[in-house]
Amino acid sequence: MFEELLEDIAQKNGLSEVHPSLKLIAGLGAIVLCLFSSGFLPPLVIAFVLAIAILVLAQVELRIYAGLFLIPVWFALMGVAGIILITGGQDVYWQLDLLPGFALSVTRESINQGIYVFCRVIGGMSALFFIALTTPMTDIFSVLRKVQVPETIIDLMMIIYRTIFILLDQVIQIYHAQIMRLGYSSYRESITSFAQLCGAAFIASWNAGDDLVRAMDARCYAGKFALMKKSRPVEVVPCLVVIAFLAFSLLIVMATGTIILV
Amino acid sequence: MSSIILEARDIRYRYPRGMEAVRGISFHIRKREKIALVGPNGAGKSTLLTMFNGMIRPDSGTMLFDNKPMQYDASSLRDLRRRVGFVLQNPDRQIIAPTVYQDVAFGPTNLGYRDEEVEETVTRALRHVGLEGFGRRPPHQLSGGEKKRVAIAGVLAMDPDVLVFDEPTSGLDPSGSEDIMELLDELNHEGKTIIISTHDVELAYPWADRAILMLNGRILQEDVPEIAFGNPESVRRAHLFLPTLLELHQELQKRGYVPDDQKRPRTVLDMMHCIETLLEQYAVPKACGTIMVCNAEPDWDERVISWLGKNNGLPVGAMGTRAKQRAESSGIPLTFTYGVIDKCILKALLGENSLILTTSSMIPRVQKRVEAYCTESGASIPVRLFNPGLPDADSPPSPEA
Repeated sequence: MFEELLEDIAQKNGLSEVHPSLKLIAGLGAIVLCLFSSGFLPPLVIAFVLAIAILVLAQVELRIYAGLFLIPVWFALMGVAGIILITGGQDVYWQLDLLPGFALSVTRESINQGIYVFCRVIGGMSALFFIALTTPMTDIFSVLRKVQVPETIIDLMMIIYRTIFILLDQVIQIYHAQIMRLGYSSYRESITSFAQLCGAAFIASWNAGDDLVRAMDARCYAGKFALMKKSRPVEVVPCLVVIAFLAFSLLIVMATGTIILV
Repeated sequence: MSSIILEARDIRYRYPRGMEAVRGISFHIRKREKIALVGPNGAGKSTLLTMFNGMIRPDSGTMLFDNKPMQYDASSLRDLRRRVGFVLQNPDRQIIAPTVYQDVAFGPTNLGYRDEEVEETVTRALRHVGLEGFGRRPPHQLSGGEKKRVAIAGVLAMDPDVLVFDEPTSGLDPSGSEDIMELLDELNHEGKTIIISTHDVELAYPWADRAILMLNGRILQEDVPEIAFGNPESVRRAHLFLPTLLELHQELQKRGYVPDDQKRPRTVLDMMHCIETLLEQYAVPKACGTIMVCNAEPDWDERVISWLGKNNGLPVGAMGTRAKQRAESSGIPLTFTYGVIDKCILKALLGENSLILTTSSMIPRVQKRVEAYCTESGASIPVRLFNPGLPDADSPPSPEA
């Protein structure tokens, strides 16, 4: 499954030993810079640098990364096509009057707008993938605790994270059992099977909740959830690298704000 | 005889839906005993087990822990659950936290240990079950056997006196089952009382000190395994079967080959002893091989490896989780991984030498077991401490010597 794949990579990649705060700062910083950028170039530069980091430093296979990246790219392309057609402008290259008062057009401004949006999506997605592929969820919990997110919320997040995989396992088992008995063979059948799958998953999660309470009781639960061992100190070199990356990106954002393509 | 730690006095329990799961059971369990609760599905084994740590309160009758009736208020239950650790059949149901470290630390944290104490207990528990270095892994990435070990470590971290296992080997492969059973042996050796429920007669038969056969919420028979499993009538009624060794021995008895009063065999070694007594007039007396015991804890790798290199083909067995790990990490091929002492005695009886890798706490156990066998059978098998640091005093003879 996909979420397991992402988690697996996050657990054992070249950057898994780097302090999670640094990775989160790099990723979130990159997203913020992409949002602030007024030109199309800075997000592309950020995306390029982060892609290199993911492929070279974190040693994620190119095939896997490309496969992951194609998913948002398709969505972005479809969205951008809409933006280009709907946004109006002065220099009209092509126009189609569909209804009175509503026209589809391709203009200089709309193309620039489209490219700008597309590049920002690319930049933001690579920052998000950088976090997802290098920082395991379990590390993010400890960062959340450090930035004073309430205990209750973190405890809930941890239990939810743990149970996702148990439920996912059960759903997959039920799904396979249905397929083996020709569950999704026709359209009608698919609807019935899916409804049954949902029902069974609901009952399974209900039981899992009961069991969880019992297990916690049996293990002397008194309202406390264990913390991870003290994580490694923030190392100097990765820290400098992150600062350099963010400073460089900021410079690019400020220097190339006015460049446009067409 | 050591003192009684758990006792049930005529307990009954009916599930809310109306099925009476336990219908008047009385028994007692002594400290440091290994008890196997055996019976078919629906016999009430699991219900009975969950009464041991107060998860279920019997409708009538009394459960006693440490000679005091169990109290069911919150603070007494907490204390009871700390002292009676429960390992569920399905580890996924037991593991709560998102990482192995946090899960094992769950109990100690809730018991109010300080951070350093928690860290120390968790490290010790993880080392105990052979999962050192697994702390940051999320449980869903582990195999079935590893999950089981995490669940056990989580219970061990609270340092209970009694460990209760519901079907400890279900869903594990045979070698994984043997590993878990050996871990239970190790824990028992350290002074813990161990209670398991199982369907697996072959597994329970050589392992348990006492077996309790259950059927329809009642105790059918309760005795040492040779007797409890040796009654074909009650075994059949409990939907079980005779252990192969016991069946074989009974067939030999029926044919008059072995005397009726002979001790029934628990292990292959016992069976060999029976057969050899049977053939005594033909047996050629021969010199027994030596069993060497090597402490796998200190730094020994290089000397042992070079020594083993010189003595190629010597059977090596590892006993205990730590010893197995060390053997694996230093690339020593293991001939035996379970039932090691018995297998080495069998080798010795064939006149062959063998080496057992184990931890210092288990060395006396090897010596005791071999001595016990020697007194019983009249054989004389030398046990020597292998110590590569003292080549003069303790250098073991080469297999041919």
